[in-house]
Amino acid sequence: MNQIDIQQDSMFINGFEERLNTEGPFSSWDLFMMNYQAALTTMAPSFNGLKALDYLPQMDFLDHQLSCARQVVEDMNGRAILADEVGLGKTIEAGLILKEYMLRGLVKKALIIVPASLVNQWAQELNEKFYIPAVTFRKSYPWDQYDVIITSMDTAKRSPHREQILEQDYDFLLVDEAHKLKNHKTKNFNFVKSLKKTYCLLLTATPVQNRLVEIFNLVSILKPGHLGDYDSFLEQYGKDRKKLKQDGYLKQLIQKVMIRNTRQNAKFDAIKRNIETIWIDFAEEERAVYSQLENAVDVFPAFSKITLLRELCSSREACYLSLQKMITDEPREKIIKPITEAIEELPQHTKAAKVVDLINQAGGEKVIVFTEYRATQVYLQWYLKENGITSVPYRGGFKKGKKDWMKQLFEHHAQVLIATEAGGEGINLQFCNHLINYDLPWNPMRLEQRIGRIHRYGQANDVHIYNVAIRGTVEEHIMTLLYEKINLFEQVIGHLDSILAELNINDIESEIQTIFSESASTGEAKIKLDNLSSVIQLTHEETQQEEQQYGN
Amino acid sequence: MAINHLHAFLESYFSAHHCELLHDTNGVLTVQLTEEMDRALMNRPFYWHYIKKMGHPGDPKQLTLITDPEKRDGKHEWIHYGSPRVHQIISHLHTNEKYTKLFEHVDTDHKTALFPWLVTNIKISYQGKQKMDEMISIGLHLVNGIMKLEMMDELQHKTIKNTIPDYCYTISPMIKLHSGFKRIEKVLENYVLDQNHEWAEASRQTMEEEINLLRHFYKGETAEQDMKKEIDEIKKRYSPYITFKVINGGIFYLKDEAK
Repeated sequence: MNQIDIQQDSMFINGFEERLNTEGPFSSWDLFMMNYQAALTTMAPSFNGLKALDYLPQMDFLDHQLSCARQVVEDMNGRAILADEVGLGKTIEAGLILKEYMLRGLVKKALIIVPASLVNQWAQELNEKFYIPAVTFRKSYPWDQYDVIITSMDTAKRSPHREQILEQDYDFLLVDEAHKLKNHKTKNFNFVKSLKKTYCLLLTATPVQNRLVEIFNLVSILKPGHLGDYDSFLEQYGKDRKKLKQDGYLKQLIQKVMIRNTRQNAKFDAIKRNIETIWIDFAEEERAVYSQLENAVDVFPAFSKITLLRELCSSREACYLSLQKMITDEPREKIIKPITEAIEELPQHTKAAKVVDLINQAGGEKVIVFTEYRATQVYLQWYLKENGITSVPYRGGFKKGKKDWMKQLFEHHAQVLIATEAGGEGINLQFCNHLINYDLPWNPMRLEQRIGRIHRYGQANDVHIYNVAIRGTVEEHIMTLLYEKINLFEQVIGHLDSILAELNINDIESEIQTIFSESASTGEAKIKLDNLSSVIQLTHEETQQEEQQYGN
Repeated sequence: MAINHLHAFLESYFSAHHCELLHDTNGVLTVQLTEEMDRALMNRPFYWHYIKKMGHPGDPKQLTLITDPEKRDGKHEWIHYGSPRVHQIISHLHTNEKYTKLFEHVDTDHKTALFPWLVTNIKISYQGKQKMDEMISIGLHLVNGIMKLEMMDELQHKTIKNTIPDYCYTISPMIKLHSGFKRIEKVLENYVLDQNHEWAEASRQTMEEEINLLRHFYKGETAEQDMKKEIDEIKKRYSPYITFKVINGGIFYLKDEAK
């Protein structure tokens, strides 16, 4: 048997001797006993189990969150990828794990790297839900001054912070949105890899977006060599994601360092999604302009024409602004001018009027409206105001403080939050259960992010999702051929990332754009789109069983 | 002996610190803090600094704690094992209630000798892949060298006070403090070494496995520095070790049981 290192406590007896020399002060019997009782209460009498649960009586954990935390602490020894689907509470799992380690005295110093927009939210959750005294990084704090610091990657990797952080010995490192570390050649990756850390959690909803080597890189941060070395891995699995399905051994290895709960296996479906597609028709004038634009073949590359059409379905403003930018020379002006003039004549957008109806139907409850276009966002804000509805805007480009402020305003004062795409990531709005997709993104992954804002851990009511689409336009094709056909709203959400990777589709948005731009007629585009959704659906059916094994 | 009833524990804690219990019903406790306790718990050093500078005695706060979650009113503090307040109280105890010298209270009218015991409460932590704690309460008779375990449980049944009772006198220790403590350490060391350390073996094995994987990962590469850092991290995470931490201890003068 090997000798085990024993660390004695020499402080006590010296301190006691001093105390005897000074004739006290000595504890009373009551307090002396109470200290002993307190120590008995706070100690961890077994290697296993979650002690943290006794300390968080106000929290109502879901089963999959508890088993995740247990598994990370007991089986994975504190280094893991938490890859639950969006909205199942990865933050909660991570908080519970950190709390457990802190209670057992295994973690004192922790660094938490999250997207800039989420820094405050993390701080709030750790403090309020877990009583973990986490502070957000401020310029005046030195990195060694506080035990639990939350910061953004951009701050952390910038000099002089970078150097100071690299000097620290962290007991615990957490990186949220860790799929940003999937490429081992990036600065972010190397920075995280070189941090001195004992326990480490990587959080991502999409551990493998495209290539299997992405997961290899994530695992290399946690447990280098667990999946072999880089070259042989690349040779064996690199390009092809299907290998994961074939290779049960690899899957097993990955399960040793990764936990993935899906809505399906997390029994999360207690909250229903009510999805309603709202079909509307363009007013006559709008339809006329739409055809005019659709038939103006020569000036625009097919690519931008499809964008213009989508914009026109969203708002006059969005389309108008793009057209204005295209007027670069006289021949173009000749063709574009009549269209912009026609747009100027248009009445309020039919869709905007419909959205006002929908909001009024919600009976004063909070509503989120998602749009793809900034110009539409501004227009909608004005139009809602005209109709006596209070709203606040939300954009990815907002500074952190402004985002928090807008969220606060929405929660306490305004009825509607109008968000553009970039606002999709990160904010938690589970106090709201109505969502209007004013226009549909072409990348269904982004739709998942949108819905995940409200259909997530903490949502107490059923969620209502309205998708507004205009008949006889490009929106109809997308809606019927893509979203409805693959039953996207009910089923595929959550699996789409793996399906697309399986199909080797890097970017579905450009895929669809290509379909439209390379097709000679609408009919051809329809057929191609139809084919695409058939393939997605087929792959979905195939992967459904697989996902069950891939998860836990 | 762990805290089973938080409400009762808080009552004794504040009473022991001479705070008046203003209101004490099931689940709600209001105490009038003393200056000492206000300074310890209320986190307002500037108030005390300035009030003293101005020559005022100061005005310690009242503190209302709700121990029964059913009684929460949104105004007062709900206190439970995980709340920051309990954390604060426990660390206040750990810092301040470390050392003692106490006497068994003997009701007698003739001369009685009290014998010195060194009593220590030591938390042993076993750390491998995970961590586990064990508490040992051990007493050493500083005259004849006898040792006893579960000392705190035994003391609980006695009446113990800070002052020596009437008609009693203390016997001087034969064993010096330091060597007495050494004996205790030695006994505990033997106690842990005699155990079956599967946990340590398992941890070592995992450590070796991970280091081997790591070498495989870096094979053929010249990233000596990186590999060393990773190996250090693995060793830090898995090297099994045991720590002794003395929670508290002191000299207890006790009546000899045999007589």
